[in-house]
This record gives sequence, structure tokens and C-alpha cells, in this order.
Amino acid sequence: MTLSTRDTADHIYAHGLRNQWHPVVPSHFVEPGGMRKVTALGENWLLFRKADGGLSMLADRCPHRGAPLSLGKHLGDRVACWYHGVEVDGTGTVTSVPGLPGCNLEGKTLVTSLPVREVGGAILAYFGDEEHPDPVELTLPGPLADEEISAFLCYAEWEVPWRFAMENLLDPMHGAFLHSESHTMFAGDTTAKFRIRETERGYFFEKTDQRGVNFDWVELCHTGVDWVDLSIPYPPSAGPGGPFGIVGMACPVDAGRTGVFFWRYRRVSDWQRDTWRFLYKTLIEARHWEVLEQDRVILESMPADADQRENLYQHDLGVVRLRRLYQAQAGRQSKAQPVSAR
Amino acid sequence: MPETWPYLETHQTRDHEPTPYETKLARTLEDIFTKDGHGLSDVIDGLNSRQLRTPTGEPWTEESFRAEMHRLGA
Repeated sequence: MTLSTRDTADHIYAHGLRNQWHPVVPSHFVEPGGMRKVTALGENWLLFRKADGGLSMLADRCPHRGAPLSLGKHLGDRVACWYHGVEVDGTGTVTSVPGLPGCNLEGKTLVTSLPVREVGGAILAYFGDEEHPDPVELTLPGPLADEEISAFLCYAEWEVPWRFAMENLLDPMHGAFLHSESHTMFAGDTTAKFRIRETERGYFFEKTDQRGVNFDWVELCHTGVDWVDLSIPYPPSAGPGGPFGIVGMACPVDAGRTGVFFWRYRRVSDWQRDTWRFLYKTLIEARHWEVLEQDRVILESMPADADQRENLYQHDLGVVRLRRLYQAQAGRQSKAQPVSAR
Repeated sequence: MPETWPYLETHQTRDHEPTPYETKLARTLEDIFTKDGHGLSDVIDGLNSRQLRTPTGEPWTEESFRAEMHRLGA
């Protein structure tokens, strides 16, 4: 097993929470008949796709001597370890030990394989620890399942702890400052009052005195995968269809790296949909990217102890709540005794 | 497999670099949406009054505009 309840709560908080789904990489990163090594929740994994499109995710560790399977050969429906040729299929079962036919490793499921789903052009995997190997129910974000909504996935890799990336999303007020020189977030007041509003699946953190002008609200949703929903107005140049929304997710890669997934979506149909998609690909995507780079630059510049030495104010309630939630979850997922208690 | 981290690609939705025609059409549409309105008739009138033609040199119609947007944006 690769994810253990014996890890400390601090380790789990730093490397990503378990027993839920997380996005891993965009689907097109693993071509039919291809494989790709990825790191997620601080562990190495192998994504491996058969020619017919079927996808598997295995711990990147040969059950024989521990060599990375990602250095091995893709044999269509199996991977053969480069070191001694041990063959492992997509379920993590050893199908052949070529050096010793009939070896008792054959037929045993010795490699952790994670349940995977592909959603909106991204690969999602369920990261259970040894006590929770069966996947929790996954309810897809509404905007990604709604046929009336058109979405584009934007994926980027940042040198930041995953929780900084999430905290940034629960901090709408940065829109009016960090993104003040952008195509979408130039308008609105630079002062605001916020409130938290509970929902069945999480909570809203929203301005009490402005909506539909800037990045004015965000909803954190736990639906088997953690995601945020938010909405930002487009300028008139983007044409009909109203504001665009973002479904955001983060992949905790390790303690210092994060894969960020942003689906930019808009409720549009017919010629309006086609026109938005044309403008997006031709002109708008680059402007969205500029805004995203502003987030990356500021977050990558934050000191590692940024969240240890702060002076927070009312705008940070959404962040504080997020931290408490995640720290409590990390505590529940750890059976390790704190050092001081031994 | 090569180390690919970090993935920082500005353009992730294009299958080709926009042609000069596509860029001009997109910029003109933005100008129309900003100055003239968001209706389909605003778009057709705006393209034609700005002397922008279809790829075959014709004035735009609702039908040709829908078809072209479907080709470029679907």
C-alpha cells in the first residue's frame, strides 16, 4: 500500500487529503497505448492506457524489487518491469514472472491500483488509504455535466503547496487587486464585507454588497472530489452569453507542487456557443492565461511559512474555514501518534 | 519518459495557430460586440458594414455566419 494511516496528520495536510477523488492530469497526457509517470499526494504512480482507451493507474513500483514500472515496457494490456521483466496488468495483478515461470507471485494482486474516471477532459482518481480502498461516491460538478454549458479545461503546474492554491480560490478579494489590470476583473469596489453561507455540499464565501461585477463569490463543494465554483463577468467584447464560470480543482502533487485544473465555462448554445468558442481559442484564452499567471507568480513568491506568520482580517474568513476543515480531515486520516505524545 | 514538469502552456484549446483571416474575424467580432450589440443581426450588419467578407468574398448572411462559426468554434 502506498497511502497509509500511519502517516502523520502534518504529512497528510502537506501532501494531500486521502479517501476522496482528485484530478491527476488532463486525459490527453496519456495517449491510447501510452503510459505516463505522475506524482500525486507525494507518491509516484503510473498511468497506463490500453489501445482501446481503457485507463489504469498503478503504484509506480514493481512488486518484485521495487523498480519503477514507468521505466518498463507497455505490452498492450500489461506493463513489463525493465529490471527483471515481471509483468503486471491494469488491475495490479502479476500476470507473468518470465525468469521463473510458475513463480508464486503469478496471479497475485500486489500493486495498488486506483479507481479512475475521466471527466471533462481530465483524469480523476480515488486516493484511498489502506482502510478505505473502495471509492467514495463521486458527484460531478454541475457545470461539467450540463449539456447547456460549454467548457474548456485549462491545466497548469505550479511550484506551490496545494493548500495555497485552494486558499487562493477561497479569497475572492484578491481579484480586485492582483487582477485589477485584466480583461475581466478591472471593475468593482476595492472594499467589501464578506459572509459565509453554508450549503449541503460545502459553503459559499461571498461579498454582501456586490455581485456580478468582479470575482465576488465562491462556493467550495465536497462531492467526492473537492472543487470550487465561481463566476466572473466578461466585458461586452466577449459577446452574448453572460459571465463565464470556473470550476476549479487542485491535484496535490507533493508538499511543494500542485497541478491546477480550471474549467472555464459559459452557458451558451447555438451560434453564441460557437462564436464564444471561436473567440476563446483565437483571442480570449491568452488573456485568461495572463490572469492565471498573476496567480502563479504571487503564489510561487510566497514564503514557505506564509501561513504561519500572518495577521488576518475579515476577508480571510473563507481561508480560515478551509484550513480548519482540511486540518481536521488530515487529523482524522492519521493514526500516527504525535511525537510529543509518545 | 522525459521529465515534463512544469506544464505551462498558454494555448491549450487550439489545434492550429489562427490564420490572419481568423484573427481579423475574431477582432472584428469583438469590436462589433463592444460597439454595436450582441444580437445576430448586429453581427451580420457589423461585419458587412465593416466591409469584411466571407472567405469566398461574399457578404455575410445569418446562414453563412452560423456555418462559419460552427466550423471554427464547435
